[in-house]
Amino acid sequence: MTINLNGIGIDYGAILPELIVTGTAIIVLFLDLLVPARRRGWLAVVSIIGLLGAMVATIPLWGQNRAAFGDTVVADSLAAFFNVLLIVISILTVLISPRFLRALDLDYGEYYVLLLGATAGMMLLAAATSLMTIFLGIELLSISLYVLSGFARTAVRSQESAMKYLLLGGFATGFLLYGMALIYGATGSTTLRGIAAVTTALGAGASSNVLLLLGIGFLSVGLAFKASAAPFHMWTPDVYEGAPTLVTTFMSVATKSAAFAAIGRVFIATFPSIASRWYFPLALIAIFSLFIGNLVAITQDNLKRMLAYSGIAHAGYILLGILPGTAEGFSATLFYIVAYAVMNFGAFAVVTVLGAGGERTAELSYWRGLFYRRPFLATVMTIFMLSLAGIPPTVGFFAKLFVFRALVDAQIWAPLIVAVIMTIVSFYYYLRVVVVMLAAPDEAVVEREPIGISTGTVLGAAAAATIILGIFPAVVLNWATHAASLHF
Amino acid sequence: MSWYALPTNVPWLTLAVVIPLSGALLVALTPTVARRVIKQLGVLASAITLLLVLGIIGGFQHGAGNLLQFEEARPWVPAIGISYHLGVDGLSLFLLGLNALLFLIAVLVTNSDTPRLKQFMLLLLILEAATAGILLSLDLILFYVFWEAMLVPLYFLIGVWGEGPRVYAAFKFLIYTVIGSFAMLIAILAVVAITFAQTGQPSFDWTVLVQHPASGVWQLPLNLGTIGIPQLLFLGFALAFAIKMPLFPLHTWLPAAYTAAPLPVVIVLAGLVSKLGAYGFLRFNLSLFPDAAHSLGPALAVLATAGILYGAFMALVQTDLKRLVAYASMSHLGFIGLGIFAGNLLGIEGALVQMVNHGVIIAALFLIVAMIERRTGTRDRAQLRGLGATAPLFAALFLVISLAALGLPGLNGFTGEFLIMLGAWTAFVPMAVGAGIGVILAAWYVLRFYQGSFQEAPPQPAGYGEMRIADAGVLAPLLALMIVVGVSPAFFPAAVEATVKAMPVLLR
Repeated sequence: MTINLNGIGIDYGAILPELIVTGTAIIVLFLDLLVPARRRGWLAVVSIIGLLGAMVATIPLWGQNRAAFGDTVVADSLAAFFNVLLIVISILTVLISPRFLRALDLDYGEYYVLLLGATAGMMLLAAATSLMTIFLGIELLSISLYVLSGFARTAVRSQESAMKYLLLGGFATGFLLYGMALIYGATGSTTLRGIAAVTTALGAGASSNVLLLLGIGFLSVGLAFKASAAPFHMWTPDVYEGAPTLVTTFMSVATKSAAFAAIGRVFIATFPSIASRWYFPLALIAIFSLFIGNLVAITQDNLKRMLAYSGIAHAGYILLGILPGTAEGFSATLFYIVAYAVMNFGAFAVVTVLGAGGERTAELSYWRGLFYRRPFLATVMTIFMLSLAGIPPTVGFFAKLFVFRALVDAQIWAPLIVAVIMTIVSFYYYLRVVVVMLAAPDEAVVEREPIGISTGTVLGAAAAATIILGIFPAVVLNWATHAASLHF
Repeated sequence: MSWYALPTNVPWLTLAVVIPLSGALLVALTPTVARRVIKQLGVLASAITLLLVLGIIGGFQHGAGNLLQFEEARPWVPAIGISYHLGVDGLSLFLLGLNALLFLIAVLVTNSDTPRLKQFMLLLLILEAATAGILLSLDLILFYVFWEAMLVPLYFLIGVWGEGPRVYAAFKFLIYTVIGSFAMLIAILAVVAITFAQTGQPSFDWTVLVQHPASGVWQLPLNLGTIGIPQLLFLGFALAFAIKMPLFPLHTWLPAAYTAAPLPVVIVLAGLVSKLGAYGFLRFNLSLFPDAAHSLGPALAVLATAGILYGAFMALVQTDLKRLVAYASMSHLGFIGLGIFAGNLLGIEGALVQMVNHGVIIAALFLIVAMIERRTGTRDRAQLRGLGATAPLFAALFLVISLAALGLPGLNGFTGEFLIMLGAWTAFVPMAVGAGIGVILAAWYVLRFYQGSFQEAPPQPAGYGEMRIADAGVLAPLLALMIVVGVSPAFFPAAVEATVKAMPVLLR
């Protein structure tokens, strides 16, 4: 018996970025055996070289629409958009890693392997056009992150966080898979293109096909879990707080971005014909996220928890852009994801730097008078907080503006009003951080270890990007519009 | 006519924003301990800005065919029609001057011993750039960006450097303002969406939107009837501006914020930021929604009159002089509101004139209060008397300011109030009568303030010496303006007339 492989479209070029990242992970794994313990910094260098290579390999994919491997992945602008974003996040994470890992005595080579593995999974998720590859991407990133959450092996909090993430994540995966099975049962296809074709062919019947709707519902639960949208967010604060801050930094932005790539492909590209069916549950998830994220964030005195809840709230804003089901809305979503990645990465990175001496430093009281103790850290943190609140001239403002505009143009009022009210609420807890940092220091906290060149550069770059994209948002918006338009 | 022509290839208006920002940047790079340098940088930046703005005012061609001048326009986010569009006309020209003047004074009276002076100066200069940007923006998103950017420095300036329950005051201010801002943002997005549907070309440009007034009705849910879309949008903008002004009954943040704010900040807050609310009404509400302005004007005029009387009565019963001036300011803002909502030539001209004059007067009054507090250690009216006995110059200057505040002809407060009263009388008589009562009350509380603290016999041992030359120097430009404007009352109305006459609200 021979198997004909010609018809399924083997095209390694289309997944070259993912291949490079995976290959780098394997190289780093073996390199770890050869490199002496005090030279582990080289692993970071190799990782960055690999990621840069993947970035270069991504560039030719921009503007293409190459379906490959039997329609299970696609190399298009949307995938390229997310590839670049995820690779940049990954590079920035690697750059701040060595200092943090040394401080916590966690300097093991596996860290970089897992980080690259998670990145590869996220990139695959962003390019996935079949239920199988979506699942593959999610599992690859999830399993890597489960281990990373528990990477501080001696810290009980870290172990607890990994356990929670694993158990709840496994549960969510179950939902995801069950949903996929139901969708397959209803449509007889696992590729998004096939599913879309069958759904459109069903016409009005699709809106009342219980199997299909149930499947979409379960699938949404699984994806919303990864995006940490309420009410599937329960794991987020505990995991974010317990995991090593560095891992949280990466996880909070990269996982969410990748999850939204999949959400966009599934809801906007695959099921536009039954948009009236998924609109309401999705709007409800967005509203829940906005409410719970913003309201609970007010009460948090631990910055990691506060940022976790703020991340839930931002998942709500990002979802709002999906609701109109238009290219305009989705491009607003993509812009928001970039903005969120920049500012939230920065905010968590500041916590990482300050927390390198230990995890206690995430308590807000520790930040009192930071402006006079560590002016650089306080200044960049202020920029990130203002941006998260959406105050111009920062990128966070335009992110919210574009999403709100998409909602106004689509005349979606109720979620918009909730978003506006909750944004007002969010001013309180974001600005409170700045007020605390500006307050007179009550005692002399002696803690003046240098930030380090690479970490300082990363923080400075993130802060600069937050401002520069807040003044010149047009370029990124054009990219987002281009990446979003391929679906329509 | 203009005094001279400025070269046209220089982005003058951008400079008015960039110079304070550059000053802020220089301050940020200065070491914290170099307090003198920090203050001098602040003075330098705001002084250069003032000179620049005076140059712009001199180069502005009054009565020329082009109402908007010194325009700069380039695309910003072309995909959705946002542009970087600056321009100045009769509505904003003199407020721009007031902005630069008040910030120079605010920087000058900033105490070099202020804790964390560097951050204070930094925020003050950023604030100046933001307020200048508000006055110059002709793109709605650009305007909104500056409007929000103004909020943050103010919040920190009150919340960190304030006195008394400062965090409470700052937070209350923040919440009120942000609610208004977001109502405006949604209205901006909606008005642009409506115009987009008409023209097929998305644009946030004010000059485009003015030519396409929104229309139509909105069906309320649950069969509650209908409301005109222009009216709805008008209210969205109005909420933001009414809170900033503040218009009764949205004023409750004001006493807390004004009392808590340190002197330089309260000068800016009362002298300028409140005018930005009034300016917003003129620039957006009355220009973009002229019909709604006519239909909602009377209701708002009632609120403005209520504010005049409420502010005046509250000023009468205050014992804390800073609170007294705060309520007096609110009362005067009511006059400005009344002129605006009268919606006729006299009323709007009067409001514009009074906006500048009130800025000058209220800044001077807050300065006087601060000077009194510094020499006596108290702002309590009951504990103050006979200050004038040993300080005749101080007493004389204060008397002039008081007379200007109560609207004596020959000083600057009179022109604007008189025009507003005329305008209000043509539009709605009862409100004009209410405003008249407000004038009488103003005379009462201002003169009682002056007589109570400066006349009568000084306490034993007899008080304090003459005022410092530096203090007189700070008051001098304000006093000079009061007298110059007072003796040439026709100057301001003539300068703004061309712009006001072209406002859509007058053409309906």
